[in-house]
Amino acid sequence: MSMTERLLFWIAIVVLVVATFGVKGKVDNLEKQVSQVNQAFGGE
Amino acid sequence: MNPKIERSVYIGIIVVLSVILFGLGKKELELKKQIPVTAEELYKKLSNPKIKVQIIDVRELTSSDEVGGYEDSRIPGALPFPNCDETNMNTENLKDALKRINPYMYTVIVSTDGNPDIFKKCTTKFNNAQNLTGGMKAWQEAGLPDESGEYTPPKAGGGGGCL
Repeated sequence: MSMTERLLFWIAIVVLVVATFGVKGKVDNLEKQVSQVNQAFGGE
Repeated sequence: MNPKIERSVYIGIIVVLSVILFGLGKKELELKKQIPVTAEELYKKLSNPKIKVQIIDVRELTSSDEVGGYEDSRIPGALPFPNCDETNMNTENLKDALKRINPYMYTVIVSTDGNPDIFKKCTTKFNNAQNLTGGMKAWQEAGLPDESGEYTPPKAGGGGGCL
């Protein structure tokens, strides 16, 4: 396995990890908002 | 390490991360559907050319109630889709509107008063949809711009924003 191939794999992994953490942050934020909305509408 | 094994390990990690990312993305869309958008927020989104929003008006074309129907008063650029039911789309203009509806685009569902039942019915047809809190009634009460008249398909090369 060449160094270039290894580097490309690592770039893909880093991009995926960053994207996963980004989306995870968004999901956590949305979960908070959903619970606030549910509280505001009396637990609907 | 054997290059074949090393390659398999990298591919395995990428596949696992992709599956997690896909799952989180799906969850994000599901959560978004549960959060309604207010009239003011929608107006801000429509004013921002970077955000592409599809507005689907699920009210009847005409109505005698105080809010009125789609043809009486609607959010500029809204597409008619009465009751989220294709069988209601029987005139030439409505068939054209149906062709323009994109189920994969970010969509805001507009009903008379933000009825969650009709929104639930619509979410089966749109991947990324949000309900307008208070519906068209809230839009009118906020004094935001509206338009009226029969739906007419946009002319080719017309361009321009809707607000």
